[in-house]
Amino acid sequence: MPVFDKKRLCLAVGLVFGAAFTAHAQEVENASNFGDMNTVSQDMLNRAGNDGNNFLHTNGNYEQTRYYPSKQINTQNVKDLRPAWIFQTEIVESLETTPIVVNGIMYITTSFNHIYALNAATGEQIWHFKHKMGPITTYCCGPNNRGVAVYEDMLFMGTLDAKMLGLDAKTGKLIWETELGDPELGYSETMAPTVVNGKVLIGTNGGEYGIRGFVKALDYKSGEVLWTFHTTAEDSTGVWATHDATGRDMLRDIDAEKAKLAEMGDPYKTLGGGVWQNPAVDLDANRIYFVVGNPSPDLDGSLRPGDNLYTNSLVSVDLDSGEYVCHYQYIAHDVWDLDAVSPPILVDVKNNDGDMVPGVLHGGKTGHVYVHNRDDCSLIRFSEAMVPQENMWVLPTKDGERMLPGANGGVEWSPMTVDEKLGLTYAINLHQPMTYHVESSPYPEGKLWLGGAFKVIPEEQQWGNITAVDYHTGKIRWKVKTQQPMIGGILATAGGLVFAGEGNGMFKAYDSETGSQLWRFQAGAGVNAPPASYSVDGQQYIVVGAGGNTQLNYKRGNNIIAFTVSD
Amino acid sequence: MISFVRLQFVGLAACIFFSTASISSDAVDIKDKLVLCESCHGGEDGMPVNADTPILAGQEYYYLYVQLKDYKAGRRANPIMSGMTAALSKDEMKALAEYYSSMEWTKIQPEIDQELADKGGSALGAGQCSQCHSKYQGDSRVPRLAGQQLPYMLQTMKDFKNKVRLNSPAKGSLMDSFSDEDLAAMANYLSGLQQP
Repeated sequence: MPVFDKKRLCLAVGLVFGAAFTAHAQEVENASNFGDMNTVSQDMLNRAGNDGNNFLHTNGNYEQTRYYPSKQINTQNVKDLRPAWIFQTEIVESLETTPIVVNGIMYITTSFNHIYALNAATGEQIWHFKHKMGPITTYCCGPNNRGVAVYEDMLFMGTLDAKMLGLDAKTGKLIWETELGDPELGYSETMAPTVVNGKVLIGTNGGEYGIRGFVKALDYKSGEVLWTFHTTAEDSTGVWATHDATGRDMLRDIDAEKAKLAEMGDPYKTLGGGVWQNPAVDLDANRIYFVVGNPSPDLDGSLRPGDNLYTNSLVSVDLDSGEYVCHYQYIAHDVWDLDAVSPPILVDVKNNDGDMVPGVLHGGKTGHVYVHNRDDCSLIRFSEAMVPQENMWVLPTKDGERMLPGANGGVEWSPMTVDEKLGLTYAINLHQPMTYHVESSPYPEGKLWLGGAFKVIPEEQQWGNITAVDYHTGKIRWKVKTQQPMIGGILATAGGLVFAGEGNGMFKAYDSETGSQLWRFQAGAGVNAPPASYSVDGQQYIVVGAGGNTQLNYKRGNNIIAFTVSD
Repeated sequence: MISFVRLQFVGLAACIFFSTASISSDAVDIKDKLVLCESCHGGEDGMPVNADTPILAGQEYYYLYVQLKDYKAGRRANPIMSGMTAALSKDEMKALAEYYSSMEWTKIQPEIDQELADKGGSALGAGQCSQCHSKYQGDSRVPRLAGQQLPYMLQTMKDFKNKVRLNSPAKGSLMDSFSDEDLAAMANYLSGLQQP
């Protein structure tokens, strides 16, 4: 049962900057909000949604709308978009980084935790940092890193060997490092952190290894852990929900689960619950919102009786204390790994009475966009399915049962984007038919613990799509099919465009209102990273990584490509 | 059984005739242990004596260490290796793993059935093997598979499938879902892979 805290705190910072917090990003014409500030202030981070120069957050702003407010590149001139520069990193491996840009300096990361600082106008390298990786790493799915966070004159990056690093942004020099978990037990970091009010927020991977998931807040100066929210509750049993968020029967044997619970006790210590992507920050309410991934072991529910709270859930906690505020679980006792991964987005939404209320969006692996009330996390609506759904929720068997979507989604970790003027959110999807196999095995102490196997059905066609969903109604506005399943992310701009890449190397721009394809570029390797945008000296750029993807085995590369409209 | 007898003989012979590489870590002297390892897995050239013996030279440190621990604990059953590891301390296991992982990978010329290998890519895709193994070059606890000995790799896949090798349950489930032809196809594909 969702619990909600009516206390919507107004922080000191909220009082100071409250007037500047607008839910809707404004269009800007190459405007500089901050002159030539190189130090990233909290004010800059708060106003990032209206910042026409910088790209300061992995998902654009604290609301995570991935909407860039400049319209210099637009539906009229996007046909003239050309590469301005290409930077090649040292690492030819899966690229999932979102470039962060601060006053003409770009920070990118690669697989295996390298960071590069580049001149954002020319692509020239300023410095290069290589993390001294420990001998033990345990990670799924690829040695990825999704980027840095910036705050004042520092950068922050999580590592595959489960550390958080604080670095000097000017030099790339390491200032501090903090161990977040034991990599031998399956803890690792691939997500980009989020920094707010001096706190570095980070989750953890490890849902495939029997970890106990968490979100932590660290002091940005020292790396000291300020609070930890465990994503598996000590009482993880929940309400014994028999139906999912869309009302479908999940075929649970509740009596058998209760008997198992009495026998073994609560499984929370090895229950998984990774957090793969950034939290959204509601500065007014002083809360963060994140989604929690699958329970461990993925396919075998027999060893984890109960709803497995807070796996497969949207969760909100207090920013200052990390204390629980509310949650909503999409799939209780998941045995399909159709979990919650894509980062939540904060926007105002119509409730079922037609009133606008603060909302939260999440794109699920199920292929639905879920629309929540931000106050209590409750579900307002879910969208039409963006990908085929068949045979849900057939239980996995030893020989395998076919069910759609396959375990990669729907929407995987790929962030969605929003154009609030249109009331649309844009998701990139996979269609990958799979069979689900279960085979029970005890906790293997840090080794891969799936409780069975997922298998792609090679004879069946795979594809992807970009789907625009009206989040006020849940209706699909437009959909464009792609040759391959999509993973990576998407960006919307005030120029009336959305940008997304594909595994076959294509990077494309679409009319955000209609879905018409307006521009394309062949990058030579999979474009499976979230695009970003920024401006230098009045010139707008679109930038994206083309390094392929490990999870779907798309062609690897090592290119960061910045595009602009030539004079 | 035949293989076991042969390897035992080779091991004994090695004790007499082989000289070890210049190895002892700062804290642990592994010269004596290494003599036995080298009798099957090869000396400084890292070339295994038999095709059903895996290449260790250039393999991942943490993977090797975990395998040694698992042999000793009985999680990975093998009559030779269980005996070899029975008296090893953790420090000795780490030193042996460090020794082999610090070597260059041994390149071999496996006899690949190209027709089978051509089918291997599709089977590996079905198993989503790249999710952990990426380009099959290995990293930390994930072993390098590219260019590994073909008979060894096929046997270890079958051991997973037939629940002889129990130290990675997820692999057991996955291999169980493949036909023997699929396993052969994957082994041929992977053994034929070299540097990316």
